[in-house]
Amino acid sequence: MKTDSLLIRIGLAFYLLLFFTYLLGPLVLMSITAFNSPSFPQATPWEVLTFEWFRVLYNDARIINGIKNSFIVGFFTVILSVIMGLAGALMLTQIWPKMRATFYTIIIAPILIPGVVLGISTLVFWDRINVMLGLSNDSFLHNGILLTVLGQSTFIASYCMLVFVARLQRYDTGLTEAALDLGATHTQAFRKIQLPFLAPAIGSAAVLAFLASFENYNTTTFTFGKYPTLTIELAQKVRYGINPSISSLAFIIVVLTVFFALAHEVRNRRAQLAIANGAPVGAVSAGFKLPKVFAGNPAAIILALFVTVSISLIAFAQFYDPEPAKAVLLKKKRAEQQKRIDALQKRLKEKRLQKIFKGPDIFGDGSSKVPQPPSKTPFGNVFDPGNLNKVAPGKEKPAAKPASPFGNVFDPGNLNKVAPEEKGKTTKP
Amino acid sequence: MGNGLLKDFFKRNGTVMGWFLIIAVTFWVVVLIILPQISMFDFSFRNHLPPPEMGGPKDVYTLKNYKYLIFGAEGNPDAYNKTDLAVFGKTLLAAAFVTILDLVLCYPIAYYLGQSRGGGLTRVLVLFLIIPYWINEILRAFAFRIIFGDSGVINEMMMFLGLIDSPIDFIRENVALYAGLGYAYILLMIFPMYNVIESLDRNQIEAARDMGASWVKIHRRIVIPYAKPGISSGCTMVFMLSAGALAAPQILGGPSSLWFTQIIYQWFNQGGNWPQGSAFAAVLLATCIFIVLAVMRIFKVNMGDIGK
Repeated sequence: MKTDSLLIRIGLAFYLLLFFTYLLGPLVLMSITAFNSPSFPQATPWEVLTFEWFRVLYNDARIINGIKNSFIVGFFTVILSVIMGLAGALMLTQIWPKMRATFYTIIIAPILIPGVVLGISTLVFWDRINVMLGLSNDSFLHNGILLTVLGQSTFIASYCMLVFVARLQRYDTGLTEAALDLGATHTQAFRKIQLPFLAPAIGSAAVLAFLASFENYNTTTFTFGKYPTLTIELAQKVRYGINPSISSLAFIIVVLTVFFALAHEVRNRRAQLAIANGAPVGAVSAGFKLPKVFAGNPAAIILALFVTVSISLIAFAQFYDPEPAKAVLLKKKRAEQQKRIDALQKRLKEKRLQKIFKGPDIFGDGSSKVPQPPSKTPFGNVFDPGNLNKVAPGKEKPAAKPASPFGNVFDPGNLNKVAPEEKGKTTKP
Repeated sequence: MGNGLLKDFFKRNGTVMGWFLIIAVTFWVVVLIILPQISMFDFSFRNHLPPPEMGGPKDVYTLKNYKYLIFGAEGNPDAYNKTDLAVFGKTLLAAAFVTILDLVLCYPIAYYLGQSRGGGLTRVLVLFLIIPYWINEILRAFAFRIIFGDSGVINEMMMFLGLIDSPIDFIRENVALYAGLGYAYILLMIFPMYNVIESLDRNQIEAARDMGASWVKIHRRIVIPYAKPGISSGCTMVFMLSAGALAAPQILGGPSSLWFTQIIYQWFNQGGNWPQGSAFAAVLLATCIFIVLAVMRIFKVNMGDIGK
């Protein structure tokens, strides 16, 4: 029984490791490619550490424009979705019970409808309205930003609604009633009682909405018009030729994500610790109690480390110059390439020489047997005409060198060739 | 009666709040959800016309676009539109495969996270789960393209170890696509299951174990029946999202394999035949709705369980 549970435990640990490798490995590898110098994103073979892809990214006008559009779309989508999601959630709490299931199905449906369908229906619908109103083809109803915001909000509002429903389940309606009894108007009761209660949910719904909007592709790809968002630009780049500047963007996003996730975790954990210690959050976070924050809060330690590493990396990037290392690598590569070219040329020459010296195969010797079998007669086959162009059998190996002391300058086959050194140069970029 | 309800509604919310709720909800439900779907459905029955002819005598309803999906263009030598139907079927099958893959991958994790006592490790693992989900969909697909490319890490490593001589074309074999799609929706599979399993009373499992139930039996008789809403909710979402995925197939799909959404995309962006594209989209939507309803009926799950 004991060994059994041990076995399960080891298996579980192994599975967890495997699973999280699958989950995080791709992101790590992609981040690594951002720092490797080859112009095709690859982690292996590692060449030279470089930061130039970040500069390429920074100078990419289309990406920068995409980020701008994404932020505009994200901003309006957040506002629209949070408002609609909140209204939907409030409506759900007080709608006629028999209608509730239907209403819920309708407002949850956008999550389940394929994003492609949402994009298409938005595009078609507003286009029909445009035709009906007799507007021209570049009216505001064909504006990519407007259509994208509408299309995205359709389903992002459902996410927001779910967040609000979860929060509202813990709301005590007695509070609103008490406020009303005390003479507050409905609007006042909502603004002063219910809205503050919902504030954390509004915050998380807004973050969720922004992230969903920022990374949406399926819906946006039909509605963006003349305003491609970052995701659209990325998709086009990835489809039509990739270079590591995309990896560098991914790296930045990964770093930001990890940073905010850790920061969030630290805050949560601190609040938890505070509750556990019976002290309000402010008391823990205020003053010179930093070491205590770290105590029992691994996320805080990781966060601190993470920030330190990021800052030193940025500082390092300011001073680091990949050029010397690159030059060394280039030299090495060239030398290698040169060696390969030389070897190839020599081999070609050998062959050609063989052919010339041999002429027609009058002695009936199998001239095709280029690697001659070791001879058995005491004289070897020194009188074999096929041997004329060869060094002595014992020196078979350095055959890569020119056979005659003059090299093969008199080789007629060389007339149409550049000198070996020249050729090596011309093939290089 | 409706009048009374409305009066009651305003009495409960006040005029300003009442109007706010009605306008916001109506805008969302009617203008953003229902009308566009109806309009797309309507459009799918129309002829492909240049804008000036819309509303003209040629603008009549037709079944042409749906006929095209089933029987192909006129003069098609085959009885059916084999290309598009095959792609449609393949998409659904592949989406089902991805769903099952995710379910198998995620169940142990969801069980482990749900049953562990919420220590520091669990929190960190949950954080790890969420982080990939915040990375752009395109970038996730891009990462898989780097990994599975000809000179990607997997090929390089296998060649280094001497397992293979020449790189395997994972993109053409669709391995990259399945891995990428499965990866993209892991979170949507884990969380519904995790939420349900977390609420499972551990004593039930202890009791079963004390009574001598085997490990397999505990899962089959206790955990899985209890987690059924979570499992079906996760499966529904993963299936719908993979069937409707566009980015991953575009980036990771092999040259010979198309996803149904890619055909729709082509009708809109390259073919320029919107009614035809709308018809295909309507078919996709109807199929997805049908499958979701069927799954909910079979596993006796309510709509309310989805999205928890």
